[in-house]
Amino acid sequence: MQTSTGTLSKRRRIFWLVPLIALALPLLTNPYTQFIANAMLIYTLVTLGFSVVIGNLGQLAFANTAFFGIGAYASAIASTNLGLPWLATVPLAGLAGAFGGFLASAAALRGIRLYYLAIVTMAFGELMRWFYTHTGVLTGGTDGLPVSRERDFGLALTSDTVQFYVFLIITCLLVAGTVNLLRSRIGRAIIAVRENEIATASLGIPTSQIIVTAFMWSGFIVGIAGAMFALHTGRVFPESFGLTQLIVNFAMVLVGGLGSVAGAVLGAVALTALPEYVRAFPGMEEIFFGVIVMVVLLVMPKGLASLLARVSPIFQQRYHRD
Amino acid sequence: MFLQLTLSGVSQGAIYALIALSLTVVYRSTTIVSFGHGDFVMAGAFLTYVLVVAIGIAFLPASLIAIVAMFLLGVAFSRGLIGPIRGGPHVGLALMSISFGFTLRGIARTVWGREVLPMPRVFDIDPIFIGSVVITGDALFIISIVAVLLVVFFTVLHFTDIGKMVQAVYQSERGARLIGIDVERFHNFSWGLGAALGAVAGVLIAPISLLHPDLGASFLIKGFAAMTLGGFGSLAGAVLGGLLLGVAEQYSGAYIDTTLIDITAYLLIIAVLLIRPRGLFGRKVVVKV
Repeated sequence: MQTSTGTLSKRRRIFWLVPLIALALPLLTNPYTQFIANAMLIYTLVTLGFSVVIGNLGQLAFANTAFFGIGAYASAIASTNLGLPWLATVPLAGLAGAFGGFLASAAALRGIRLYYLAIVTMAFGELMRWFYTHTGVLTGGTDGLPVSRERDFGLALTSDTVQFYVFLIITCLLVAGTVNLLRSRIGRAIIAVRENEIATASLGIPTSQIIVTAFMWSGFIVGIAGAMFALHTGRVFPESFGLTQLIVNFAMVLVGGLGSVAGAVLGAVALTALPEYVRAFPGMEEIFFGVIVMVVLLVMPKGLASLLARVSPIFQQRYHRD
Repeated sequence: MFLQLTLSGVSQGAIYALIALSLTVVYRSTTIVSFGHGDFVMAGAFLTYVLVVAIGIAFLPASLIAIVAMFLLGVAFSRGLIGPIRGGPHVGLALMSISFGFTLRGIARTVWGREVLPMPRVFDIDPIFIGSVVITGDALFIISIVAVLLVVFFTVLHFTDIGKMVQAVYQSERGARLIGIDVERFHNFSWGLGAALGAVAGVLIAPISLLHPDLGASFLIKGFAAMTLGGFGSLAGAVLGGLLLGVAEQYSGAYIDTTLIDITAYLLIIAVLLIRPRGLFGRKVVVKV
């Protein structure tokens, strides 16, 4: 058993080929596909962060778009109002997102779980959207807030290609960080809370704190994705973090496979590429993602990752089981 | 001023009460929180609009048709989409209702685009003046319809055999199964009833507000706020919570700041769950090993 998992995790090193191959991507693309590829990296983080909470921790949450927005606004405010270079705003956005994660899940410390926690996170998300529109001095209100793309430590961040490499490095670091976190003591506790919270608590694990920790890590990753989103689009608007964003995030997690790291990447890549065609008509996006989620739930509840697991055991779910 | 605010709060709160009640009906019988419920409300309002404006049916028959149609849609949703995954993880069940709601919203948006639709006025009841308080025809209509519905609902629940059956399922699904109650059919019926009650709320909203596809989302969270305040899962609590929320919105809007009307519900949810998680009438949740 020991040896088989050992070789399996060695074989999983093959995943590092994915970013290496991606390095060559800008040579092959035109500006438009480059722009989409950058968005894929952003959504990889958004999906991964969401998956940690709803897949690995097993708590229903609606605050993911709030973390995304908090990160984006933190980056934009720090760059516009404080004049910081974008790269310096990235860790700030991560910390702001993590703080958002703490606020959204603080009720867990009072014993709030499941649907109640879901409703609190929903209220938190709506409250954040209210803040973006009503604190115009800070956030620019509905006009949005620009993000400076000026030269940044010698990097020409106005170029989508340079952005791509920066995003790729950040994404790889955070994906590796998440894999390590899930393999750590805390990560195992997160998964144990999903499987049986009472049994976990009886082992002396502080389950409420574990829930808050998972939310904070999720907020951290998604907050950084928000900073990337701010740079990517150049201006942040309150509507970017609304309900359509939420169903897109749900669909990406579910299509990839709840709680699977490889699935988060797959879901984000697959669904970032598609919607350009469905955005043409109002309402089509919602129908498209809504139907996708329903079909996946009925036919393939473990997502694309489960299909790949049939091909090779290296795709097997390590952090989620139904 | 104070009385006037209370009155408009009660009339607004009656709608929240109805939505909270419809959510509770589904939750109590199936233990699923219907996160797509706001869109049932929206769909009810839109169906009524289509029947009245596009087809030209009078308001009352149109709204009855819309309510029946939403009942059938709720049953179909329960049988076709919830049934196959019942017993699965709760995240999946919640996601199913969310995505169904999004699909309904998308359909409404595909048909009506970004237009905001004003419903033609339905009731021309002259406002009644009592001292300095004005009771509009709409408020009177909403409050009386909701009051009648609530009386019927709670009478059926407490004083008829069907009501006893419902309470039996609420208490113990296994027990109900043992005495021969078809629990699956009961679940389907509850989804239908929940959707229909939501649609009644939509019908009541339609004449007094502008219709747009995103209408459901804000009402959903108000329904949740009412449920949380009254005690999650308590039917009477949901009604009282709704009324209190409606009044609280009016007071905070008038005495503090009008922009607060929009976020009273969110603040209330957070405050209640932090201070008294079981709400006014909820039972304390006991964790059993």
